This record gives sequence, structure tokens and C-alpha cells, in this order.
Amino acid sequence: MVVDMDTNETAVELTEAENELYDRQIRLWGLESQKRLRTAKILIAGLCGLGAEITKNIILSGVNSVKLLDDKNVTEEDFCSQFLAPRESLNSNRAEASLARARALNPMVDISADREPLQEKASEFFSQFDVVVVNGATNEELLRIDSICRDLGVKFIATDVWGTFGFYFASLQKHSYVEDVIKHKVVSNADKKKKYETVSIPTQRDVDYPGYSAWLEFDITAPSYLRKLKRNGPGVLLLSVLQKFRTAHQRDPSYKTRDADLELLRGIRDELLPNSLLSDEALGLIFAQISPAVAVVGGVVAQEVIKVVTKVEAPHRNLFVFDPETCAGYVETIEAK
Amino acid sequence: MAAAIDGVFPATLQELVKKSKVLVVGAGGIGCEVLKNLVLSGFTDIEIIDLDTIDLSNLNRQFLFHREHVGKSKARVARESALSFNPDAKITAYHDSVTSTDYGVNFFKKFDLVLSALDNRAARNHVNRMCLNADVPLIESGTAGYNGQVELIKRGLTQCYECTPKDKQRSFPGCTIRNTPSEPIHCIVWAKHLFNQLFGESLEDEDISPDAADPDAKEKDGADGDGEPKDDEKENEKGEESKEEKEAKEDTANGNVVRINTRQWAKDCNYDAGKLFNKFFNEDITYLLRMSNLWKTRKAPVPVQWDTLLPEGSSGDQKDVAKQHHKVWSIEECAQVFANSLKELSATFLKLEGDDTLAWDKDDQPAMDFVAACANVRSHIFDIERKSRFEIKSMAGNIIPAIATTNAITAGISVMRAFKVLEAKWEQCKAVYARLRPNARNHFLVPDASLPGPNPNCYVCASDPAITLKIDTKRMHIKELRDEVLVKTLNMLNPDVTVQSTGSILISSEEGETECNEGKLLSELNIVDGVILKCDDFFQNYELSIIISHFDAERDENLFEVVADASQLKPKDEEQKKDTVESKEDEQKTAVKRSANGEGDSKDDGPSTSKRSRPTEVVEEDDDDCLVIEEDEDQADVVVVATDKLSVQSPPKSGAKRKPSEVIEDEDITEILDSSDDEPAGPTKCKRSRLDESSSNPVEVISID
Repeated sequence: MVVDMDTNETAVELTEAENELYDRQIRLWGLESQKRLRTAKILIAGLCGLGAEITKNIILSGVNSVKLLDDKNVTEEDFCSQFLAPRESLNSNRAEASLARARALNPMVDISADREPLQEKASEFFSQFDVVVVNGATNEELLRIDSICRDLGVKFIATDVWGTFGFYFASLQKHSYVEDVIKHKVVSNADKKKKYETVSIPTQRDVDYPGYSAWLEFDITAPSYLRKLKRNGPGVLLLSVLQKFRTAHQRDPSYKTRDADLELLRGIRDELLPNSLLSDEALGLIFAQISPAVAVVGGVVAQEVIKVVTKVEAPHRNLFVFDPETCAGYVETIEAK
Repeated sequence: MAAAIDGVFPATLQELVKKSKVLVVGAGGIGCEVLKNLVLSGFTDIEIIDLDTIDLSNLNRQFLFHREHVGKSKARVARESALSFNPDAKITAYHDSVTSTDYGVNFFKKFDLVLSALDNRAARNHVNRMCLNADVPLIESGTAGYNGQVELIKRGLTQCYECTPKDKQRSFPGCTIRNTPSEPIHCIVWAKHLFNQLFGESLEDEDISPDAADPDAKEKDGADGDGEPKDDEKENEKGEESKEEKEAKEDTANGNVVRINTRQWAKDCNYDAGKLFNKFFNEDITYLLRMSNLWKTRKAPVPVQWDTLLPEGSSGDQKDVAKQHHKVWSIEECAQVFANSLKELSATFLKLEGDDTLAWDKDDQPAMDFVAACANVRSHIFDIERKSRFEIKSMAGNIIPAIATTNAITAGISVMRAFKVLEAKWEQCKAVYARLRPNARNHFLVPDASLPGPNPNCYVCASDPAITLKIDTKRMHIKELRDEVLVKTLNMLNPDVTVQSTGSILISSEEGETECNEGKLLSELNIVDGVILKCDDFFQNYELSIIISHFDAERDENLFEVVADASQLKPKDEEQKKDTVESKEDEQKTAVKRSANGEGDSKDDGPSTSKRSRPTEVVEEDDDDCLVIEEDEDQADVVVVATDKLSVQSPPKSGAKRKPSEVIEDEDITEILDSSDDEPAGPTKCKRSRLDESSSNPVEVISID
């Protein structure tokens, strides 16, 4: 079956250099996907370790351009996972400090830095991008950007890592994609035994993704959800606790005030859901951003951006949680109220 | 460097990270990511080993390398790049093979933990054995495309890498390749053999001429018909050929029409494109047509003629055809590419000194062009779908696709597991699988439900390992016993073998000591049914008893088969009677019982390996990061679940509702081959067959058509 997808802007053939560099991935997602990637413009807001990891993966994939947006400076904490900022860039702007190494990853991608605060960026700024990825922002700020992006038809992903725990929420609005449905066709030969042939049928699907507000309105203490929480582990609860901390204190828990912040976190947890599964031990692993966990979450987020841009395969819908205890990565479907 | 900053990690973990010494084996896609995670986490005592150099096609994911590093040592460049992330780390890089004798058990004992990020099974088997010996925990990882996996191997606690059988390489019977191809891969394999016949190291198994002894060509009802061309017909048909060539041909005992020296003949023809083309694609095909029994149930091939494709003087300005990698070339274009690549290859070949030969390499442009063109011409002749050069390269080079994201995720999980290993929280070190699509529980990073213990029948990690070797003792030579069984299949490096009852030395690791035995058949040396051999690989510190079980192999059948558990020995007939459908369904049933991630290996109670000696193997090769990945059984269901959940507005037009009786939506195992060309010092290919207890197929039958 031939699927009729919008194939504009992908008419230009890849150069020989591109074919060579991207050979191993073209063999996975195909030529058409690679051409789509080449036109994609991506914003990464927040150049913490997670931002660096997503940036790396997106640049390697061969998108058109990546803008790095951050008004913060490089701190000691960044050296736990922010490998794009060199040691000597301590106290200088994080986005600018990341430029040289980001460019070295793939000279074919156009990479720029912007040191203005995210809060001061208005609608026209976001309209330049196909996908906007934001990390380290408050819920209030995430809601504002999500609403701008939904007005513009720009795909939006909010993500964060605390220590070894991480999540993302995908606000992709109406998204069309093609996925291969694998079937086994019986190829019978009259005098021989039955044989199977696998056939993959490209199938188009259209899916609606609710906005970020769906998550903020989601009640994790609802009895219907508690059962799920028990089965999947405390990830979603931990996310709630950490976001509440950020909203209340306008910062994240810090290793510098480890014991005091752990006390505050336990308080938020017990207020939200007494006797919950969320152990003190799990709370002890949420400081800074730990490289291997950032690699997992950053890998997952970048793969989602690639899916969104190439329109191949279903982006996860719509809340992803990485549980560092088990290394499970799972998806919760959060519907709009 | 998280561990260098107080308060980031809990204090105990911080200390463990700071003081641990770790080895990273492999600096490829996963290795680069693992090394970055280690230095940033605050590990300061790291060693990394890789024998490979950097290739342009690595740069889409091996992010520690840039364009200016192409051709340099992966281990060394990875070290330099990682040091820029954390100048306080101490990293030792080895540009070397991990199977080299420089890295013995004492080398491995230095480490608190080994993280392996290899791309081939032989090296994995070796590292597995070294870590078992040294009693160092090993975190084993691999990726292929969107799939990744990480597992802990710890002596006495978990399965070892060789506790479960791995899928074998796909192989094809010789007569399928030479006489009756039916899939593009058959023609691609044939084309690679043709390359080797002309320019490469010519192997006996790689004959490309028609096989007159094909059992299919024999008259089935016993009547003496036209199954084989008569000798005089043969002579007639080849009448136009040079005299030398006729002399070079003879019917051998096993019926092969052997060109004693195709290579010499081609050289004598001055590599005339038309002559060579007509021989391979016209005369040989005409010969095949005379084996008329072959074509009673098959579509007969149609020979092609050089002059009709490329009339004299028509060639010229089409040099760019070969550069159109994604286009399916026309048959005329194939002929053109054939001529151009033949010219280039022969020129290079003639410049070689002495007995030097060319090695086929997917990245060598004329070599790849030649195979693509020849495979497509042959496909055209046999009415098989032709493929683009790009697609043929994937198949001929066995390229495993690789992307940055899967490597990042897998390496991340690997180092997350490293923390648990250092903390000795073994129960939390269950294997994890990364998948493209979520399973029925909406997990796509899927931890195993349990930590499977060692397989008591494992021929590597069991306390007194023994295997039964079904072997045709009347046809296998001692040299083959060593090279094919002990080295290639059982992955020993340099074994000593003695006969248990007499103590006499059959194979010695000392060079020259048992050379006189090499050419002898097993039976000649009284190695017959029931004899027990004691094998000892000193370097791997690995001892294995082999119980010989004789069988008479059929034509085109394996000459041997390794069975780890004697109870698996069942009459061959029984297996073959089993219908494919039945066993497929059995597999499906079992699949349901298995854990959520689809890892079914715990069902197996022993590895079984086999090697076909006659059929052709697809020799895998690539530089990528992979191992055998077990497919997720939930995947098929998920497609359906996802369809229901999401507001599907344009349902698939194919509309096929799932009818389990007709459509099997998922295979138990997706076979992903790993590569072997990276470890010249170590053993090479290894073939494993998968067994599935539930299907009562104790040893997998390789389907021969």
C-alpha cells in the first residue's frame, strides 16, 4: 500500500557526503526520513547536561539547524553531565560555551547560541522551529510556551532529569505518521511445506496529543491511578514531588543543601501521598544530573524528536518516565480533561 | 564528574565510583557513550581496548570521533576526547585485540568491573570466558537499529554469555547458490563467490559453476532421462571456448563441473568483459537449462547475451550509473557496471605481487559495484527481484544499522547497572532491553522479570562441562575438528586435545607437534562413536569433554552438530516431519508464558551449535555495535493495542484483521548477526542454532529447499 504523505520540501537529493556520513541510519529509517531531518529546525532551551545530550543526538542525526538557548552560566554541577561545555568555560554562558563542541559533532548542521532568557521569548521566536524542546523550566513557563507552540503548530516537548530520574511530556497536537505493520504472509507451495514471508505494510495514522495542561490537571492520587502507580513504580509520583519543589522554591534541590532539601522533599511527598512507595533512598538520588541517566533520557527525547520530524513510527503518547531503580522506561497516557 | 562533588551521590556510592577500576572493551558506538558516562560520573581509573580504526560511517554516532580522526585508533582518540570532559581521569588506551594473549586472566583480575561494548560474537565469547575465569563481573551490551540490551554476567550467580544458544548465521545449500537461486540473497552470495573466484582467496566451498550433482536434477522416478546433460552435449555446448579452458574442465567424483582455474582462464582472456559475461550469464545458464528436472517445478532461467545488452561500441558515457546507489539499475546498466568494475578490479589484481589476492570489501567501490552488477544480472536471469546497490550492500556486507540514540540509551543503562554492581545489589541487575515500540504494559525500556541463574548444562560455565558432538567421523578430518568445531564453533583459541581412554595427544597447541594427524579422518585415528576427547585451552583456562557420537551425514547436511545436553539427541527424522506451522504455533504459545520482554532463553536447557560444512555461509562483516537481540514478543500486540487506544482516523487500507490461524504477527526471534572481521587474532565465525524445548525440536532444522 502506498501511503500518500505530504512529501513537500524533501525533493532535494542527499549529497554523496551526506549519504556516506548517514549511511548506517539511512539503512534504518530510510532515505526519505533523512531528507526530512535535513530540513528540520530545532530549539533546545536549557543547556544543562540533559540539554547537551539531546543536542548531541539531534546534531548527529543530521537536522538542518539547532538553536541553543540559555541565559544561565556554567556551574561546577554541570560537569556531572554537560560535556559540551569545556572545563575552562566555568561561569560563562552555557549556550555559548557549548557551541564549539556542538559544531564539531557535525559540520553539516547549522548551530547557533542565544543567551536571552526563555521568559522573554515571544511567539515569533518559537515560530522559527519545527520542534521546541525545553528543560529546566517551571510549570508556569512550560504552560506559556506550550500554548504559544500549539497556536503556531510547533511540536513541543518538556523534559527534565533530576539526579538519575527523568521524564518528558510530548505536546505534539495533531500528528500524522507512518508505521510499518509487520505481517506474515503464508507462501504455500503445493508440494512443499508451508512457508512464511514477512511483509511490512506502511500504514498512516493520525493521533491527537493533548497540551501540557493535561499533565498539570492529572490527579495522581485518584484511586484509579494508585493501582497503576503500584505496578509501575513511583516515577510519576516522584515527578510530581520534584515539580512541586521547583514551583515552591523556584529552584531544584541542591547537593549543597542536601540534607535540608531531602527534608523538604519528604515533606512534599508525605503531604501528597502518605505511606507511598516513594522511598527515602530514591529521593537520595535526585541531585545534579547524573551522566548515564541523562544519556538514557536524552537518547529517548532525541529519538522522539526524530520520529516527529521524520513522521515515521509513533511518538510515545505522552508522558515518559525513567525509573532509575529498575532502568524501566515507560509511557503513561495522560488524556485531556 | 559527579563523584568528585560531595553531596551529589549518596556517600557510599560516591566512594565506590571514586576507587573502582574498570575496563571498557570496545570503543565503538556503545563504547564511546560508556566512556563518556564513566568519566562524567567520576570514575578515574579506566582502561579501554579496541583494535579498530575510525571510519567515516562511524561518525553519525561515535561522537568522540570527528572527521579529522578518520583512520586513527578508536581507543586512543576516545581516550583523548574523554579526557577533555574530565582531565582528572586516568585512562589507559590499548589499540589492540582483546583476544590477544597479552590480556590474560591476570589482566582481567585487575578490574572491579568489565563493561563490554563489542560488535562480534567471537570476542564476546572470549571476554565472557576471561571474566568468568577472573571472577570479575561483566556488563555485556549490544545494539542493532532501535534495539539494545544490557545484561550482567557474574560467575556462579547469573547465566554466562554462552549459557544460552545464539542464533546461527543464515546459510544456503551449495546447489541453491549454484543452480537454483530464488531470492536476491542467493544471487548476492553467488556474486561474492564469483569475485573470489576471479580475484579473491578462492575457497573450495565457493564454486560458482553449475552443480551437476544436484539431487534435484536427478530423475525421481528412476527413468534414465535427461536429468544431466550428456558429456558430448557438454562438449558441444562449450565448443566455442578456448582449448585451454576445455582442458581445465573435468567432471569430478562428486559431480562438480570444475573450472580448475577460472581465474587463469579469465586472465588469459584479458578480462574481456564480453567473454566473461557470456560465460557466467549465458553458457553456464544454458548448461543449467539442460538439467531439465530442475525446471519442472521452477521457473527456468533465461540466459542473457552480452552483444544484445551492450553492442560493440555502445559503451562510454554511463560511468555515473554506478554512483546511483538508490536506483535499481536496468540490465543494460548492470552490464555496463560489470564491464567498468571488471576493468578496475583486474587492473588492481594484475598489479599484485606473487600469490596475493584481493579481499572483498563492501566499502571498496569497484568490488561492491561488481557484486551489485553480477547479483542483479543473475537475479534478472532467474526472474528474481533486482535490488539497488544500496540494498545489495546491506545484504552483501551484512550491515547492521546503527543510530546514536539507541547507543546512548544502551550505554546509559550499562553504566546505571555499573553503579548497582559496585554496590553489590545483584538482584537489581536484571537484564534490560531497549525497544522501538512499547510492550503491552507500555514499557519500551524493559527490565527482565528475573535474574536467570547459570545453565547447569552450559558447556562454558558449568563445573565440569561436556558436550556431545554428533559428527561424521568418516568424513571429518582432524584439522576440521580443530578449525571448524573447536575454534570456530566452540570459540577456543588454541586447544590441546587428548583421547581420554588412551591419553594420546590428538591435537597439540604446540606448532608442528601433531601436524601428521591433521590430514587424517577421525575414524582413521579410531575416533569413533563413544570415544571421549578432553579439550583444554590453556589461555582461556577452559577444559571441555567431548563425547563423540557418529552419524552418516547426507549430502548437503552438516558434517557435525554440537549438542550440549545428551537428552537432546533424537532421531533426525522426527524433527523433519514436524511442520513449520506447528512449531511456529508452539513458539507462539510459549511466547505467552514468557516474561514481558520476550526473553525466552530461560526455556532452553542447553546450547546447541551446528555447522554446515557444504552450504555457503553469508559471512557477516561490519564495524557496528551489535549482538543477538531477542525480539519483543509483545510488539505485535502493541501494534493492535496502539491502534485501539489512539484515535485512528485513517485505518490501514490493508485492513487485515488479525487472524491468528492465518497470520503470525511476530517471530520468536529476530536474527541479527554480529560481525567477525574485527578480531583477526581471535576465533572467527561461530554458528549457533537455536533450540526450543517447547517445540520438541531439540535441534533446529535448517530448512533446505
